[in-house]
Amino acid sequence: MGGAVVASLAVAFLLGVVAQVGYEDTPFLPGLKWRVHDAKRPQPPVLVPGKTFSDPPSDAVILFNGKDLSKWRSVFGGPARWKVENGYMEVMPGTGDIQTMDEFGDCQLHIEWMIPKGTGGSGQGRGNSGIFLMGRYEIQVLDSYENITYADGMAGAVYGQYPPMVNPCRPQGEWQTFDIIWLAPRFDGDKLVRPGYLTLIHNGVVVHYHTPVMGVTGHRRLPTYRPHPPVGPLRLQDHGFPVRYRNIWYRPLKGYDGEPEWRDLTFVIFPNLPRP
Amino acid sequence: MAKYGYDDTPFLPNTKWRVHDSNRPQPPVVWPGWFSTQEAPGEPPSDAVILFDGKDLSKWVSARDGGPARWKVENGYMEVVPGTGDIQTMDEFGDCQLHIEWAAPAEVRGEGQGRGNSGVFLMGRYEIQVLDCYENPTYADGTTAAIYGQFPPLVNASRRPGEWQVYDIIWLAPRFDKNGNLIRPAYVTVFHNGVVVHYHTPLFGPTTHRQTLPYTPHPPVGPLRLQDHGDPVRYRNIWYRPLKGYDGEPEWRDWTPIVMAPRNP
Repeated sequence: MGGAVVASLAVAFLLGVVAQVGYEDTPFLPGLKWRVHDAKRPQPPVLVPGKTFSDPPSDAVILFNGKDLSKWRSVFGGPARWKVENGYMEVMPGTGDIQTMDEFGDCQLHIEWMIPKGTGGSGQGRGNSGIFLMGRYEIQVLDSYENITYADGMAGAVYGQYPPMVNPCRPQGEWQTFDIIWLAPRFDGDKLVRPGYLTLIHNGVVVHYHTPVMGVTGHRRLPTYRPHPPVGPLRLQDHGFPVRYRNIWYRPLKGYDGEPEWRDLTFVIFPNLPRP
Repeated sequence: MAKYGYDDTPFLPNTKWRVHDSNRPQPPVVWPGWFSTQEAPGEPPSDAVILFDGKDLSKWVSARDGGPARWKVENGYMEVVPGTGDIQTMDEFGDCQLHIEWAAPAEVRGEGQGRGNSGVFLMGRYEIQVLDCYENPTYADGTTAAIYGQFPPLVNASRRPGEWQVYDIIWLAPRFDKNGNLIRPAYVTVFHNGVVVHYHTPLFGPTTHRQTLPYTPHPPVGPLRLQDHGDPVRYRNIWYRPLKGYDGEPEWRDWTPIVMAPRNP
């Protein structure tokens, strides 16, 4: 008993030493509850990054690992009827869009896609598909390698809203990566209080940065917001072309120091900055 | 020239562009290059400015005296030569996408802030911490990829010492008005080894140790500085792309006021 007490005191002492890796006499960071180099500020959770640029980190939720569509269903209900082979899924034209059973909001999302070699057509009619965040907000998938279409309809566009800042497309037959940071819009009743924000890195090149989405994607009409929950499924579009996808995963995006949500700290830190 | 879009669609509210506007400029074409592996650095995008390609320090100077950078270059990387001081680029730049790879010494020595310490100073002032934080606790805001002294990384995505690690950074320089007042803080987004560790985070001000500093006005560009903190940390494959706006606009801007403004009937 006594030995156990001594042992636990020793453990407490050791933990105390570990907690002393920082400072307790430094000033507080303005607007935050933490001191500079605060010894009590929580340690960031440890994860194992992927071995390569496309492997998921250890805390990712895997939506497609190349084997089956068990995490997906048809948007019409029932099983997803796209083809799975050789580690990828492929749109089966006419079977309709598919979406994840999982619903999520603010996140880092990784997805890879490819336009098969020999895909014909031009403009919007060449290798068209789409990635709908929360089932509503589309990032365009298209063969935009030496294939001109309207700027806000090319690969990587926020469809009908923002063209990508540059066009870093690879040719047919090569896998392309989208690394996305997504903040879901927030509503207070019927009122939009924060638009959705998108950052998109296409093949390693930034094409959107913290871009406020204008609303739900439409064709030839204005985007508008309608209230919805802060989570939704990921939807992939059957636009009639056998586009391929692989390696799909996401990580919920949270805030600093264990806060459950990301938040804009600008006016926390700088309350007197002129507001837009 | 063929028409690729529409001229009869509604205007996106508060912008000069129609939905699918046939007159909206085509985005510039960029060859994306290839990602790095542990074995070899990748190929930067075709529009990148190469700051270090593994061969020499011709784009760098000593931050101490402006003379030649005296770090070691071998096998495609540069390595801190302790005591020679920080080095910085001759090139000065502001808003950008910056890619930089580094490796902490494979032979582990020291602990806490004393293990594989260096730093990436944007515009010579704002530090993203470089440290060997693989099974090496330190204060949270001094962890690898921390905005030093301000924000810990959201997660610790460190690789083992000796392995190549990657920072992909999106940086917005702070802006000051003509009287020197801050009108927009600096913002940073960082991917560490492919994992988001900061997202559009405003910086309190320039980096220091054990205190906070207010912003002091400076131009919207500055050099990239790498820190000699006494440990032989290695760097390779350093490049940046200036971050611009949509449709040929010269600067990134926050579109939130446009999107949130009332729509004309």
